[in-house]
Amino acid sequence: MPLTRDGLIAGLSAVADHMETVADVLNTLDGQLGDGDLGVTMVRGGREVKTVLADLPPEIGESLMKVAQAFTRVSGSSYGTLVATGLMSAAKATRGRTEVPWSEVSGLLNGAFETMKARGKAELGNKTVLDTLDAAAKATNGLDDPRAILAAARKAVAETMDRMRQTPAQIGRARIFADKSIGLDDPGMVAFAEMLKGLG
Amino acid sequence: MKKILNDPFHYVDELLEGLVAAHPEFYRRTGIGGRVIARPGEARPGKVGIVTGGGSGHLPVFTGYVGKGLLDACAVGDVFASPSVDQMADAIRVANGGAGVLRLYGNYGGDIMNFDMAGDIVEMEDISTTTVLLTDDVASAPPAEAEKRRGVAGMVYAFKIAGAAAETGADLGEVTRIAQKAADAVRSTGVALTPCIVPQAGKPTFSIAEDEMEIGMGIHGEPGVRVGKLEPADRIAGEMIDMILKDRPIRPGDRISPLVNSLGATPPEELYILYRTVKQRIEAAGGEIVMPLVGRYATSMEMVGVSFTFCWLDEELETYLKAPAECAFWRV
Repeated sequence: MPLTRDGLIAGLSAVADHMETVADVLNTLDGQLGDGDLGVTMVRGGREVKTVLADLPPEIGESLMKVAQAFTRVSGSSYGTLVATGLMSAAKATRGRTEVPWSEVSGLLNGAFETMKARGKAELGNKTVLDTLDAAAKATNGLDDPRAILAAARKAVAETMDRMRQTPAQIGRARIFADKSIGLDDPGMVAFAEMLKGLG
Repeated sequence: MKKILNDPFHYVDELLEGLVAAHPEFYRRTGIGGRVIARPGEARPGKVGIVTGGGSGHLPVFTGYVGKGLLDACAVGDVFASPSVDQMADAIRVANGGAGVLRLYGNYGGDIMNFDMAGDIVEMEDISTTTVLLTDDVASAPPAEAEKRRGVAGMVYAFKIAGAAAETGADLGEVTRIAQKAADAVRSTGVALTPCIVPQAGKPTFSIAEDEMEIGMGIHGEPGVRVGKLEPADRIAGEMIDMILKDRPIRPGDRISPLVNSLGATPPEELYILYRTVKQRIEAAGGEIVMPLVGRYATSMEMVGVSFTFCWLDEELETYLKAPAECAFWRV
């Protein structure tokens, strides 16, 4: 069964609920390298997204656009903007369709990666969410079963975080704390990993 | 803080309320939270819309330049703060007459992110958009990194010229080309003598000694290139013109419109004292002055200071610059 509005709502709802449970962890981690509001961003964004779920249209693209707009409404941080940017990229790619085959997920992740990279003016290897997103896109290429996709994405994200933990942050506010960032996970990567965890 | 206001958190909404109440023939309020200022009436079918947006505190920039032959709509943020994505999307929608919308605004990170996202949103509604960024402040980055420069008073020329082009019925590609040409033709720099106070912060944006000036300072108090003792007007003008001409020299026969702009509190008297040097230097280099502008065109509230903008004109740009236009703050 492909991805439909109902599946989208269930997934987003689960992710939003999961954010409530990890907000403190994200805030603390972000506070070591930035302004410490990443958990707040994700929780506020998740709560606002939940308010629009019931009214989402049957088209996946139009639904994702509404979700992205809800997210930006309440989260002014750059991470919130990037998440919304990724959602909008997927919205454009699925516009007008009520069903999206799971085999497209890899491509949607890659599309989100490209637009977020352009908007955030970051590169691969800068130790940002982009590194994990790219890894997830590549690891899910060719897969069409949702469970297999999720498992592959989570594995790729975990491996990328392990690999980059000892490297310094190279962009954004965390760059100012480059030395301190060595040995710490990038908060944006952790937030992405937690989003996947929320999916099951 | 010594300012005439009520609740600092109502500063922007109250000023917009007063603006449209005073000038209903030019402006109406619409959009989320009333934070979009648009021309009265519906967008003209078939005309390319031009929207801008940015923080408040710079009147007549940005909102003031909504008007015939100028802009169609503006998304209005809090003082020195970017408007939201939704406000920008609303500004684009209200400006859309079916021929697409040009986003024309200053090169500031928050504004770019939000305007890009607003463009993504309206794209789903089949509204085509393009972007031209103003990067006229020569003090904000060296020539090699000119694309990183901030947009300041030079945007007034881009608003005027692009607005005139859109009024002729030119299509989106053509209006965008002309707006980019205008953006490429302007160079600005400024000097600040005192800071301004952001109402919600209640504190000056920077500190500067009583007898000092800062050359090259940004309109939000971003650091300039040199802090020094306050000098006579002719020397200040000379140094600012040197900065502009170092970036783009005047060749004999160049036709240039100069703007001598008050950053808010500097009176017209002092602008005219400065204009003498502007005229002298342009003409000494063999340039010809076209349509000089002297006054309050782009400000930082009560900041004492001035900016100079030179706009290099060719025949096309000059025609559009001189075309009729009207808003509450400027009539051509």
